[in-house]
Amino acid sequence: MPESKGRPGSAGQRPTGGDKAVATQKKQYFRRKKVCRFCVEKIDDINYKDVKLLHAFVAERGKIIPRRISGVCAPHQRRLTDAIKKARNIALLPFAASI
Amino acid sequence: MRIYEELFIIKPDSPDEEVDQFVEQLRTQLTNTGATVDKVDKWGKRRLAYRVGKYREGTYVLFQFTSEPHSVKELERRLRVADVVLKFITVRIDETLKRLDKRKKERDKRAAKRAAAAPPSSAPAQPALPGAPQHIEGAPAAMPGVPKEA
Repeated sequence: MPESKGRPGSAGQRPTGGDKAVATQKKQYFRRKKVCRFCVEKIDDINYKDVKLLHAFVAERGKIIPRRISGVCAPHQRRLTDAIKKARNIALLPFAASI
Repeated sequence: MRIYEELFIIKPDSPDEEVDQFVEQLRTQLTNTGATVDKVDKWGKRRLAYRVGKYREGTYVLFQFTSEPHSVKELERRLRVADVVLKFITVRIDETLKRLDKRKKERDKRAAKRAAAAPPSSAPAQPALPGAPQHIEGAPAAMPGVPKEA
């Protein structure tokens, strides 16, 4: 008995992802589901030479846009950051852009 | 043997013939070390994303070649020493190409499968709609042959 009492974070009490979903439903605001552009458009090759594509995932200041904002999935974000960093090294993209 | 890509920037104020000569020199040097040059692509003058030295633009040249690692080393040394080169980057692409090829094959296969599966699946879907509950009992036998007679 004392053992189970000592564990505050047992599975039943911990708030899970499901609870969160309910909470957002209660608040009743609609957030559009983000989708990974590379998955949807079936872009296999994220190339560092493709500046036009990479530009869409770089903020005004030249920072890489986090995937929590852009909605890119993890495997694609990994390749994307790789490509952006390579492009920076060969002066196709800025390290830090002046506005 | 590995496949590499070499992208480098040449100073914008160097004359064209000098650039051509330099590129040609690199190409012959590569073949001499046992590499095969697959592609030489001059992008022409482009604006740089940031200032390099005192230059705001540069001429981009792209090499694609197949070679052993040692000739890359030699090529990089040459690029580093050359005065006309502002920046260069070497990327090994054979594994990426392999991965892409695999992905493409998978895609094609899946598309072919879907195309093959589509005509037979769409045909029974239409007659199944009006009398769906009835079909469940007698469908398996009647479906392929003569649904009208049954």
